[in-house]
Amino acid sequence: MMTVTPLLFYFFAALLIFFAYKVITSPNPVHCALYLVMTMIGLAAAYFQLNAQFIAGVQLIVYAGAVMVLFVMVLMLFDLEHELTAFSKGLFSALFKIFSAAMIAGYLINTIKETSNSVNPEEAVNTLTNNASVTRELSILLYSKYLLAFEVLGVLLLVVAVGVVTVSRVRGGTHAKH
Amino acid sequence: MPNTEALMTIGLNHYLALSAIIFTIGMIGVMMRRNVIVMLMSIELMLNAVNLTFVAFSNYNANLNGQIMVFFVMTIAAAEAGVGLAIAVMIYKKFREVNIRFFEQLRG
Repeated sequence: MMTVTPLLFYFFAALLIFFAYKVITSPNPVHCALYLVMTMIGLAAAYFQLNAQFIAGVQLIVYAGAVMVLFVMVLMLFDLEHELTAFSKGLFSALFKIFSAAMIAGYLINTIKETSNSVNPEEAVNTLTNNASVTRELSILLYSKYLLAFEVLGVLLLVVAVGVVTVSRVRGGTHAKH
Repeated sequence: MPNTEALMTIGLNHYLALSAIIFTIGMIGVMMRRNVIVMLMSIELMLNAVNLTFVAFSNYNANLNGQIMVFFVMTIAAAEAGVGLAIAVMIYKKFREVNIRFFEQLRG
């Protein structure tokens, strides 16, 4: 199994955390979108480190490519002049939200700590070393064991495509001026 | 010194901790931002953190089912972004702004 270089991991981790932080703090939504693209690319690098080359490629193409282009295109539709209240107001509610987020983080970290002995890294079987074999096994799994889920997802995407067209064609809805 | 050892050998826990940090950042973004587009981006951030968890577990357990789950999460995320952005465009057409406070006007 390919060992992850610690310096590389910490470099990408710091980069990821920085970009993720900038996503939620940049006042301009376009900057948020671009920082999110950088976060996606950093995550793709993390997937590469984790021997998931195909997932990394899909991440680059689907997320950093398609989904983020969708976001940026929609942002272009908007007139972002009056972006006055980028953050929710109220000190108390803000503190409450930060507190709840910290609580979730505490739960997560504690869970990781408590279960850290459940997986032994040295037991990782060496079947995942060869890149081509990982992709091959992945495709076999996707088209045999998960075939039904795969097809259902195709139906879901069709439904979503039709639904999005329907939603964007609704004129006014309940607020329509007759 | 055992601490240096734990820091210098990257294991599953490092990736899980990174994923937890990104997830929490995304959660704060969903709660703190008022712009719907940025909230959707924060949701994408959270989904990506979960994907990182899946891939990390998949690698360290030598089990490919986790990577299949990443496909499914990606599909759901794309669908969710599409619907969310369509609703945001609707809100913008109506109120000329994509602030979350206009969403309460959507009730029928």
